[in-house]
Amino acid sequence: MAELVGVFAASHGPIIARDWEKMPRGHRDKLAAGFDEIGRRLKACRPDLLVVVSPDHWVNFFISNLPAVCIGIGEEHDGPPEPFMQKVYPHQRLKGHVGFGRHLLQTALDSDFEPALSHRLRLDHGTCIPLWRIGVDLGLPIVPILVNDLEEPMPSIRRCLAWGRLLKRAIDDYPEPLRVAVLGTGGLSHSIGETTMGWIDEDFDHACIAHFRDGEDGRLAAFLTDALPRTGNGAHEIRDWVIAHAAAGSKGFDLIDYFPSPETLVGAAFASWKLEA
Amino acid sequence: MTDYWVSKLFFDLQQDPKLAAEYRADMASVIGRYEIKPELRKALLEDDVGTLAPLVNAYLLRFYFQIRGMPEAEFIARLHALQAKKPPKKEAAHG
Repeated sequence: MAELVGVFAASHGPIIARDWEKMPRGHRDKLAAGFDEIGRRLKACRPDLLVVVSPDHWVNFFISNLPAVCIGIGEEHDGPPEPFMQKVYPHQRLKGHVGFGRHLLQTALDSDFEPALSHRLRLDHGTCIPLWRIGVDLGLPIVPILVNDLEEPMPSIRRCLAWGRLLKRAIDDYPEPLRVAVLGTGGLSHSIGETTMGWIDEDFDHACIAHFRDGEDGRLAAFLTDALPRTGNGAHEIRDWVIAHAAAGSKGFDLIDYFPSPETLVGAAFASWKLEA
Repeated sequence: MTDYWVSKLFFDLQQDPKLAAEYRADMASVIGRYEIKPELRKALLEDDVGTLAPLVNAYLLRFYFQIRGMPEAEFIARLHALQAKKPPKKEAAHG
């Protein structure tokens, strides 16, 4: 049987890649330290597979065909198409995991979830900035889960919690001895392409952190459902954290670091979750 | 209210670097291939952020003005000038 061995989350603002070399040294060091610590913890849990939960930034999907959730079940996925990503993460092919991808898809369908599927996704900065900065070994297979965090209407927080629990169950039920880690990407607050662009809502971010620590799903869902419409649009990526949180069993988490990062326009946060015994 | 064809133009420009280069050289010609309303064609040609912003996804808007070559600081300043959809609870923390 497979085993969940680690659950993590990290921010992924594109400026992290675009301006990495130009960024003030002290700020870059703080970002690097957050990613590095996740990398250290991920390595320590010796995963055979990494499930990455991330948005699609208009790379695979458009408003003509926009799944709420899509699972990548292919043998391979394409690396990031963005020119600024290709400079720092020039990998054209990323290894997938057909067996677990299909199992997760089948588990979802058998449980009355209806995700889209893809045999080959293009994985943009949302997935690849954390892979790059964390230093994920290219030999580690990944199963991407792309969540619509960008265009309303989006999956409810309640449904994201259910997705996280479903992911955990799929891991527990997988018949091979696979060590599985989960990485949620994005957030915390940010505002992109709207009149508040650049706003980092620290009150929202601290409240999120408190709710993830608290671990109580009902309070987390109530808070986010109420607060998300009133903060910057980038905060919708918290859905990826919520899925990670529920996959870990909602037992609270260990904040590695949080700080507003005006240099990258995001509330930068790095965390790992406590796992169920 | 989403405008499908302006959104489609922005999406295509992001997907296709050759089209983006062509667009930079001759915007009107590329716009002419889409069913874009005359008033929105004008907004595109004039880099009218305020007219376009409510009609497309905010991320596509940002990508588009990057492709147009507008410095991000100017893009942000133009958005802020529109202000007021919902003022932040606290002073914006951007640099």
